[in-house]
Amino acid sequence: MTTQQDTSSPSTTEGMGLFERFLSLWVALAIVAGILLGQLLPAVPETLSRFEVAQVSIPVAVLIWAMIFPMMAQIDFTSLLGVRRQPKGLIITTSVNWLVKPFTMFAISWLFLMVIFRPFIPAELASQYLAGTILLGAAPCTAMVFVWSYLTRGDAAYTLVQVALNDLIMLFAFAPIVVFLLGISNIQVPWDTVALSVVLYIVIPLAAGYITRQTLIRKRGAEWYDNVFMKRIGPITPIGLIITLVLLFAFQGEVILNNPLHIVLIAIPLIIQTFLIFFIAYGWAKAWQLPHNVAAPGAMIGASNFFELAVAAAIALFGFQSGAALATVVGVLVEVPLMLALVRIANKTRHHFPTKTH
Amino acid sequence: MGDAIDITSSAKAFIKQQGGVMTVRLSPRHGCCGGLANVAVAEATSPADPSLYHRHCDEDLTLFIAPALVGQGLRVDVEGFWKLRHLYVDGAALSAR
Repeated sequence: MTTQQDTSSPSTTEGMGLFERFLSLWVALAIVAGILLGQLLPAVPETLSRFEVAQVSIPVAVLIWAMIFPMMAQIDFTSLLGVRRQPKGLIITTSVNWLVKPFTMFAISWLFLMVIFRPFIPAELASQYLAGTILLGAAPCTAMVFVWSYLTRGDAAYTLVQVALNDLIMLFAFAPIVVFLLGISNIQVPWDTVALSVVLYIVIPLAAGYITRQTLIRKRGAEWYDNVFMKRIGPITPIGLIITLVLLFAFQGEVILNNPLHIVLIAIPLIIQTFLIFFIAYGWAKAWQLPHNVAAPGAMIGASNFFELAVAAAIALFGFQSGAALATVVGVLVEVPLMLALVRIANKTRHHFPTKTH
Repeated sequence: MGDAIDITSSAKAFIKQQGGVMTVRLSPRHGCCGGLANVAVAEATSPADPSLYHRHCDEDLTLFIAPALVGQGLRVDVEGFWKLRHLYVDGAALSAR
C-alpha cells in the first residue's frame, strides 16, 4: 500500500474548534457550576436521584445514552474487512490497548493512590479513586482518535479499521478486565451489575447505533446520513458530557470542597499512564518500521480514553457521589492538553519513521 | 480518470457490477470531546447533488469525486467477500472541516 505522508501538520485550530480546544476550561466550569448547584439548590440533584428503575437512574441513563449513541452511530463496522491491510499496526494497537494499558493503569494508579499518596488520601477514598482509574484504563478512545489522527496526518483508512476493531473488542473485554482488576484491588462489584452496565452503556447504544446507521443509509443514503443526520446528532456528545459533569459535581460538592487537592493527586498517575502508553505503542511501531501515519493514530488510541463509558460505568457501579466517578472525570479534565502534547511529540518525530509501506 | 484518482482493476469490475457509478467523498467523524475529522470514502452510488463533485467518465465508469480529493494520489480498491464487499480509499490522510 502506498500512503501519502504530508510533512506539514495541521494546526489544532483546523480540526478542533473553540469548545474542544478549551475542554479543560469547560470541565472546570462544569465542576464549579455543579458544586454551586449542589450547594445552593440541593433539591435538584435530590429530585433527579429519585427517578430510578431497577437501580438504574433514568436521568443518568438518558444523559449517558446521549453521550455514547452518536459515537456508536458513526462506527462503520464494514471497515473491519480491512484488518489485513495494516496487520502490524493493528497487532500493536490491540496488544497495547487490551494486554498492556489496563494493567499499567492499575499498577501506576495503585502505586500512587494507595502507596505514595497514602498520607493525603483516606484508604477507602483511595480505593474508590483506584476503581475509577481502572475503568478509564479498560476503555480506550473510540471517537476522539479521529481528531488526533487528523492532527498527526494519520492514515484515514487505518484509523477507521482500528476504531471499529477496538469497539468490537471492547464489547467482550471491558467487563472481564474491570471485574478482574477490581477483584485484585479488593473492590467487590457484583458481576450482574457490571454486566448490566455493559448491556446498558455498550451493547444497547452499539446495537441502536448500528441499526440506525444501516436503516437510515438504506433509506436516505450515506451522504445524507453523514452530512445531515450525523451533523445534527454529533454535537450531542460533548453537550451530554458537560451536563453529566454538572450533575455529577452537584452530588460531589462535599467531596471536592473537603479535598480539592485530590483532583491533582488523581491527575498525576493518569498523566504518567497517558505518556507511558503512547511511548510503548509509538516505540513499538518505530521498532517495526511502521509508517508514521499508522504509528501515530495507533499510539493515540490507547493513550486517550473512552471517558463517557468510564464515567457511565463508575456512576452505575459506585454511584454519583463516589470517588470512582470523580476519578473518571479527572481523566476528562486532563485529556485535551495531554493529547495535544502527544500530537506535538508525534509531529516532531515524524522524520524518524519511513514514509512508505507495503 | 488518470490523474484524478487511481482505481484498481478489481474495484473497476465491482463498480461496473454495481451499475458503473462511483462517488468519492469526505465523510465526517465527530470526536467525543468535540472536533471533527473527515475520512475519504468511496461508494458505488451516485451523489445526492452531482453538481458538487468533479465528474469523470472512463471505461464505462462515471466517477463523482469531491473537489478536495481530486489529484491527491488516492487509490480506490475493493475488499471483503460476498455481500460484504465494499470500496475503500487508500492513501488518504484525514482532513478537517
